[in-house]
Amino acid sequence: MSERDSSFDEQIDIGADPKWRSVLKSIWRFVRTQPLGTVGILVILTIAFLAIFADYVHTSDPEGFGRNFLKPPSEENFFGTNRNGQDLWSRVVYGARPALILGLGAVGVAMFVATLLALLAGFFGGIIDTLLSRLVEILIAVPQILWLLMLTTAFDRSIQTLIFAIAFAFSPITLRVLRGNVIQEAAVPYVEAARVIGASSPRIMFRHILPNMAPLMIVIASITIPAALLAEAGLTFLGLGLEPGTPSWAMDLGGGARQYFASGWWLPVFPGAALAVTVLSFNLLGDSLRDVLDPRLRGSGLV
Amino acid sequence: MQAYIIRRLILVPVTLFIISVIVFVFMRAVPGDAGVAKCGAAGSFDQKCFEVVRQELGLDKPKIEQYWIWFSDIFKGDLGFSPLQRIHINEEVWGRLWNTFQIGILSLIFTVLIGIPIGAISAIRSGKLIDYLLRFFAILGISVPNFWIATLIIFLPAYFWQIRVAPDWVGWEEPLMHLRVVALPAIILSLSGAGAIARIARSSMLEVLSSDFVRTARAKGLRERVTVIRHVFRPSMITIFTIIGLQFSLVLGGSVIMEAIFGIQGIGLWVIEAIAARDFVIIQAIVMLLSFWFLLITLLVDVAYAWVDPRIRYN
Repeated sequence: MSERDSSFDEQIDIGADPKWRSVLKSIWRFVRTQPLGTVGILVILTIAFLAIFADYVHTSDPEGFGRNFLKPPSEENFFGTNRNGQDLWSRVVYGARPALILGLGAVGVAMFVATLLALLAGFFGGIIDTLLSRLVEILIAVPQILWLLMLTTAFDRSIQTLIFAIAFAFSPITLRVLRGNVIQEAAVPYVEAARVIGASSPRIMFRHILPNMAPLMIVIASITIPAALLAEAGLTFLGLGLEPGTPSWAMDLGGGARQYFASGWWLPVFPGAALAVTVLSFNLLGDSLRDVLDPRLRGSGLV
Repeated sequence: MQAYIIRRLILVPVTLFIISVIVFVFMRAVPGDAGVAKCGAAGSFDQKCFEVVRQELGLDKPKIEQYWIWFSDIFKGDLGFSPLQRIHINEEVWGRLWNTFQIGILSLIFTVLIGIPIGAISAIRSGKLIDYLLRFFAILGISVPNFWIATLIIFLPAYFWQIRVAPDWVGWEEPLMHLRVVALPAIILSLSGAGAIARIARSSMLEVLSSDFVRTARAKGLRERVTVIRHVFRPSMITIFTIIGLQFSLVLGGSVIMEAIFGIQGIGLWVIEAIAARDFVIIQAIVMLLSFWFLLITLLVDVAYAWVDPRIRYN
C-alpha cells in the first residue's frame, strides 16, 4: 500500500472509528514507518521495566559488600562482580533508576520553565521579551559544562541539585527555540479571531497556542533527554554528580572504580554499555519523533 | 552590516559584566571556602593560617568590594592570584590554554575529516544501504559517551595484551611522539562532533540536491561528479562551516573530561582541580576567559554567515 493510500484510509476512519482504534492505528503506522524509533522505545521500556522491578530480576543488594571479589561473568553473576564483591548486573539494573529519574526530571523542569517563559516572552513581546532574550544570550555565552561545574560545586550534592543544574544548563536554548514557536503560533489568524471574540490572554496562551506547541515540545524533549543523560554521566564520572557509592553507570566508570579496571574487562564494559544503549535508544526515538511530528527539522541534528 | 557588527561588539563587554556578577555570586555560595580547604578542616584546623589565607584572598573585605577588586583587575587583564597554588593565574593560564587548544584544534580537524565525507556520501547515496549504515554510525557517534570509549581504549588493550595505548605527555621536544599523545584524546573527542556534522552535512546537501539549479545542471548533461562538487558541495558548505565554528567552542568544554582521563595539564583539568580545592579565583578566571572566547567565536561565525550569504540580514 502506498503512503497516500494509507493516509486516505485514515482520513475516512476519523469519526467512524472509536478513539482507541485510531490511536492503535497511529501506533501501528509509527511502528511500520519508523522501525528504528520503535526499537528505541522498546529498549527504553525494557530499561524502565528493569528499573522499576529491579528488586525482582535476579539481583542482590547493589550497595552491600559481597565475598566474591572481581569474579568474571557467570550464571550466578551475569556481569561479574566488582571490587567490593557486588554483583555488577545488580548495580547496572539499579543504576537505571538515577539515570532515568535525572534524565526525565531535568528535561521536565527545563521544559516547564522554558515553556512558561517562552509563552510570556513570545505572546506579550515588549520589555519582557527583550529582557528574557538578552538573558538567554548571556546564559548561552557560558559553555554548558562550566554552568554544570559551577552549579554542582555551589550547591550540596544531591539528586535535586543535579536535576536543577542540568535543567538550568539546558533551558536557555530550549527557551530560545520555543519563543520562536510562540511568535509563529501567535500570528496565526485563529488567534486573532479568539482575541476578537474577547478571549483573555491566559486563555489564548494556554488553550490556543500551547496545544499547538506540543509537537515541537515533544521533539525538543526527546532530543534533550539523551543530552541530559550524558551531562549527568559526565559530572558523575568527574566525581561531581551523585554521591559516591550510589549504584550509577557513570559512578562505576570513574573515580575509585578505575583502579581495578586492569583486573577485569567486564568492569568498564557493562556499565558503559548500559549508558550508551540508553542514550542511543533515546536518540533513535527522538529522530523518529522528529520525522513524524516536525518534518521541517528532519535530519538537521539541530534544536 | 557595520551597524550589526558594532552592536554586537558593544554587547560583548555588557554580557561579560553580567556573567561576572552571576559567577561571583555562585562562587561565593560555595560551601567550605578556600581558607578551610587550605588550612585543614576540624581537628587539624589552623586558625592563623586561615586568617592569612582569608586576608590574601580578600575574604575579610565586604562582598561588593571583593567583587569590584576582582572585576576591575580582570578588565585590566589581570586574572588574579591563587593563594592556594601560590601562582599568578596569568603566568599559568597560557600554557594550559595552549595544551587545551592543541587538543581542540586537532579534534576539530578530525571532526571535519570524519564528519563531512560521511554526511556527503550518505546524502549522495540517500536511501541506499550505505546511507543507513553511515547514519547509524553518526547517531552512534553522538550517543556513545566519550569517556567510556576512552576508558575502553585505555584498559582493554592493557587487560588482554598488556599494551599501553596512552603514552605520557612529552611536549614538542619530540614532535612525532607529541602528536601521537595529542591525537588519541583528540580523535575520541571528535567522534560526537563528527556524528553531529555528518547529520547536518547530509541534510543540507540533500536540500541542495533537490533544488532547481542542480536539476538544471543535470539536465544540461553535466557529469554527476562535477554537479556534486561544484553545485552541491559549495552551497551546503555555508551551513557546515557555521556548525564547525560553534563546534570549536563545544570542543573546549568537552576536553574537560578528556584532560581528566589522560592527565593532560590543560584548562579543563585545571578547573576540576580548582573545584576540588575550592579555589574559586581560578574557577572565576577560567569561566570569564572561556565565555569571552565563546562570545568571540559566536560573533565571528555570525558575521561570517552574513558575509557569505547576503540573503541573511540582521536587524
